[in-house]
Amino acid sequence: MEINGVEIEDTFAEAFPMVATRAIITAATPRWAEIAAREATGYATSVIACDAEAGIECSLGPEETPDGRPGASVLFFGFGREKLEKAVACRVGQCVMTCATTACYNGLPGTEKTIKIGGNLRYFGDGFQSSKVIEGSGKRRFWRLPLMDGEFVCEDLFGTAKGVAGGNFLILAESQAAALDAAERSIEAIGVVRDVIAPFPGGIVRSGSKVGSRYKKLRASTNDAYCPTLRGITNSALPDGVNAVYEIVLDGLTLAAVEEATRVGVRAACLPGVVRISAGNYGGSLGPHHIRLRDVLNR
Amino acid sequence: MLTLNWKASTTVPVEAECITPDNLSGKSLAEIERLPVQHGNRQESLAEFFAVSGDAADGEIVLEGDLSRVKWVGAEMTRGRITVRGSVGTHVGSEMAGGEIVVQGDAGDWVGAEMRGGLVHVHGNAGHQVGAAYRGSRRGMRGGTILVHGSAGNEIGSTMRRGLIAIGGDSGDFAGVSMIAGSILLFGAPGQRTGAGMKRGTIALFGPGSGRGELGLLPTFRLACEYQPVFMRLFMARLRSLGFPFERDVSAGRFRRFSGDLVALGKGELLVWEP
Repeated sequence: MEINGVEIEDTFAEAFPMVATRAIITAATPRWAEIAAREATGYATSVIACDAEAGIECSLGPEETPDGRPGASVLFFGFGREKLEKAVACRVGQCVMTCATTACYNGLPGTEKTIKIGGNLRYFGDGFQSSKVIEGSGKRRFWRLPLMDGEFVCEDLFGTAKGVAGGNFLILAESQAAALDAAERSIEAIGVVRDVIAPFPGGIVRSGSKVGSRYKKLRASTNDAYCPTLRGITNSALPDGVNAVYEIVLDGLTLAAVEEATRVGVRAACLPGVVRISAGNYGGSLGPHHIRLRDVLNR
Repeated sequence: MLTLNWKASTTVPVEAECITPDNLSGKSLAEIERLPVQHGNRQESLAEFFAVSGDAADGEIVLEGDLSRVKWVGAEMTRGRITVRGSVGTHVGSEMAGGEIVVQGDAGDWVGAEMRGGLVHVHGNAGHQVGAAYRGSRRGMRGGTILVHGSAGNEIGSTMRRGLIAIGGDSGDFAGVSMIAGSILLFGAPGQRTGAGMKRGTIALFGPGSGRGELGLLPTFRLACEYQPVFMRLFMARLRSLGFPFERDVSAGRFRRFSGDLVALGKGELLVWEP
């Protein structure tokens, strides 16, 4: 299979379930909402060494947020609800509450399972915190913490969903510039897909990894099969003419969202200078979700 | 939908606690007509006062006519919807825990007194003690929402513990007296001694007058700051979604926050909106 002369390898990405939540961060201006969202999703590329995987899903206009102010939607993924609760509470507490004019709301209302975020952060109010319950389709409690610029409003509970993490594809190109250009176009195209994030810097991964290492302490190490500098001294997966590879990793609230992001991302990446699109998997032994590139692209 | 048409003419109050979706659904028309109501010191049947038609299986009840002498409509209801096409008497929605009551006219005293949940929506005026605690009771309204488009009397939300009360018109004295928590939004002119003895909770004043003297604020409320509380936007969005009529653009103004009542716990707040 080829798209614009780019070979689509007959392989699949192997994704696995993770617990996910969505936070709606608002602020007085779009700039401060974005600052808070970026801070809250920093150092959250991979659970290999981070407490969560996180990213900005999209910016939100005032008409799309609970308090009518500009905002951003961010997604967090973690292994287990307890770990996710701890990670999100810490991130909202340290990166959103501390950021000027912000508020933070549950972006997944109505789910069966929840994690306590505002309910954990309220103690910062040192007894001066208060809450408001607003009854609509369900009761929602919002904590008010007195701070130096006014108040921080944070919703008590955030809904969780069984998300899908580890969706991915690899862009194999003739040069670093061609690979980066294709990866950037791909991330731009994925930006319109909801319910999905690309948690790595700028959405792009240069340090694709394999499981394990020759060093016992390491859970993951460089994916030498895709490192062009190691061609000839390792079991390389790179075809001739490939001199750079970037990976796009995708986490989504649903498998459908990850598949859709893969579809639009791969199509956008098929540019001159790109030789092949591949995907990372572990032979089908790691995750229950197998996203076959050719099947997704044929939809 | 079950329709109850008021057909009587009496100045003696009719106590009709039986008119709730919980009680009427599943009953035949004959059974409903035989339900007892208290008329003064006599017990009579519902059919003496109402022409009954339809079916309450869907939890929908419509009351037609001037029911200003009919008390306890929707008391302790937990689900369904009651629409009063006219005015209704005292204690409407008293101690209700769920469902919705819409009164298209006026309502008497004790609207939603000690209610736990649900929505009471009065399009006209309401009497005294909206969402209040009954005499001798430790807590008033404990949840739910009461909206009154028009004016309301004294002691709105007296000793309320949780929930939201919004009054579109003028309100009487002692709004939020001894309030434990919850929120009262007053869009008209407030009466005297608003928030007297309140421990926690919020009373927001959107009506005319911005000075302490003009509003009749008690000296035991202390000015804290001027600011734009974000949570108020959530309430405004909620009121808008419920069709509560108000023209204030809260985001355009600021609130003066008074902490009090300092004769009680002092963790309550009076928020006085200024455009």
